[in-house]
Amino acid sequence: MTDITKEALSPPRSFLSQDAIQLFYRLLAVFLICAVLAVLNDSFLSLGNILNVLRQASLTFFIASGLTLVVLTAGLDLSVGANVALSACVAGTVIHTTGSPVLGILTGLACGGIVGLLNGVMVTALRIPSFIATYGMLWVLNGLTYWYMGGETLHGFPVGFRQIGSGYLFGLPIPVYLLLVFLGIGTMFAQRTIWGQEIYAIGANPVAARLSGIPVTRRLLLVYAVSGTMAGLASIIFLSRLNSAEADIGESLTLPAIAAVLIGGTSLFGGVGTVFGTFIGALILTLVLNGMNLLSVSANWQPLVTGIIVILAVWLDMKTRRRT
Amino acid sequence: MKQTLGYLALPLLMAAAFATEVRADGETIAVFTKNQTNPFFQTVRVGADNMAKTLNAKTLQYIPTKPDSIPEQLSQIEDVVVKKPSAIVFTPVDYKAMVPGVEKINDAKIPVVNITDRSAGGKFLSFIGADDYSLGLDTARFLLKTLGGKGNIVIIEGVKGSLTNVDRVRGFNDALKENPGAKLLASQPGNYQRLQALQVMENLMQSNSQIDGVLAANDAMAVGAIEALDGANRKAQVIGINGTKEAIDAIKSGKLLASGDYNGFAQGCLGTMMAIRALREQPVIAEIVLKPTVITKDNYQPFDTPLEQRVCPTFEQASKLGTK
Repeated sequence: MTDITKEALSPPRSFLSQDAIQLFYRLLAVFLICAVLAVLNDSFLSLGNILNVLRQASLTFFIASGLTLVVLTAGLDLSVGANVALSACVAGTVIHTTGSPVLGILTGLACGGIVGLLNGVMVTALRIPSFIATYGMLWVLNGLTYWYMGGETLHGFPVGFRQIGSGYLFGLPIPVYLLLVFLGIGTMFAQRTIWGQEIYAIGANPVAARLSGIPVTRRLLLVYAVSGTMAGLASIIFLSRLNSAEADIGESLTLPAIAAVLIGGTSLFGGVGTVFGTFIGALILTLVLNGMNLLSVSANWQPLVTGIIVILAVWLDMKTRRRT
Repeated sequence: MKQTLGYLALPLLMAAAFATEVRADGETIAVFTKNQTNPFFQTVRVGADNMAKTLNAKTLQYIPTKPDSIPEQLSQIEDVVVKKPSAIVFTPVDYKAMVPGVEKINDAKIPVVNITDRSAGGKFLSFIGADDYSLGLDTARFLLKTLGGKGNIVIIEGVKGSLTNVDRVRGFNDALKENPGAKLLASQPGNYQRLQALQVMENLMQSNSQIDGVLAANDAMAVGAIEALDGANRKAQVIGINGTKEAIDAIKSGKLLASGDYNGFAQGCLGTMMAIRALREQPVIAEIVLKPTVITKDNYQPFDTPLEQRVCPTFEQASKLGTK
């Protein structure tokens, strides 16, 4: 049984190189965007701006990295942004009342993880399609957060805690270190572990995955819990970077995270994509917004440009990816 | 918070709540506000409750669970037309799109007062509101006066196309035109979100080595911009709009120069007052456009009082409060 499983899971070589080709296209896109912006604006290529872009991309990446795993299983988590909002408000309250950032961070991560696990339970035990389960969860979380906050804003956190989101270490912003760490962990997990490969297999063909002995339910629970926990992590970064939390922060976080996953080349149909691709996706989104700010593109055109980039990226992806 | 809990368990709990909240000896005033997320509307609701209590009437709060949702407010209007409260105090979530809703209220012959955002149509007993244009104009004038009429200025806009943003930004720009020494570096969108404002500000600081003043279309964005400035160890005078508690704290600590306020508390008070006066066949004032207040370190004290302790204006004071 184990041998069969192993064989079924080891991806064919052509499959990997396919991913490599896709990554090449994405890096090319990043390079082109950077080249154009560097020509149009003098300050774009400054070290300060590059670090600035990386730090901004990190928040989207944290949310999107966990989401990538969900999408790899052919699922979707629409509740990530609302999860960030609730986790931030809960973690912020804990820090305010206990004065302990460590307790706050743990609570934020736990809150995010529990919400993710509940999503997983709805998807596996209740067999609700993830799109609908997490959409419902989005409303539940919003309702809870609005009620909990009652129109108030939490603000003012300890200086030490604020270092996580705003501090520097050897000239690099701390979120950039976290970004590198989680990019490494995510890539290793997805590409180099049996669990990761099982997740690809579930997305590619859930029936075959189940028949080849993969504990599909447990893996799905894991994937949703990880996605939730990453939302919890994002909530901590948000709190410490913005020094505040309010109920409505989630809405502006979900769609960019989904966009990063899609621009990064992860297929909504499951089984195809990489965490590194998602990082590139988050980078492209951030670069475009950064560039539009630097070039003073009118507020009217910014959402339009972002929308076109998303459509273009997904279209190019489908066009360049050989159907197998 | 108790009231909002009802909205979580829509609609059964709500029906039960109505049944117990209606009092035989007082009028029932249905108060419509736009969302549970903006602290401004919390002040409106507390003002309305406060006035109703003074006049021995009762309020019912209608708040869309999804912020500013047009379909949700429409269906709440349908509910209210069936329930027939004595009168309605109404803030449209969208000044144009809600006109059919107002017409439904008119058809049902329920008296209605318009507050905050002026409806594009329908018949109202009276309008109590303020003027976003003068709010933008006065706050920007104050900033430019502080800067001595010159300097490099950045505008951070709210949601493009929303009435509040259009008028506030128009006010900002007109104040800039009065000061030929001031230079507008950029006018970029922050969508009323602090994270977006923070990132916009970080990006703008990359290409502009000198920024002297920031005009933000709401307080959350102003605070986001301040976080960005602090993070880069740079200083600029920043103004916001709404007079939130967070903004008052920032004014006290000298981080925020000023915040524009159009007194949601008084709007709630006066809207409810006019509705009840009309029911009791007392004279009402057809239109009160409240003068904006620029809250600064010299006059923040009255805005620093907890909402519960604030006192509604009397009818005699009301007639002197506004410009006609």
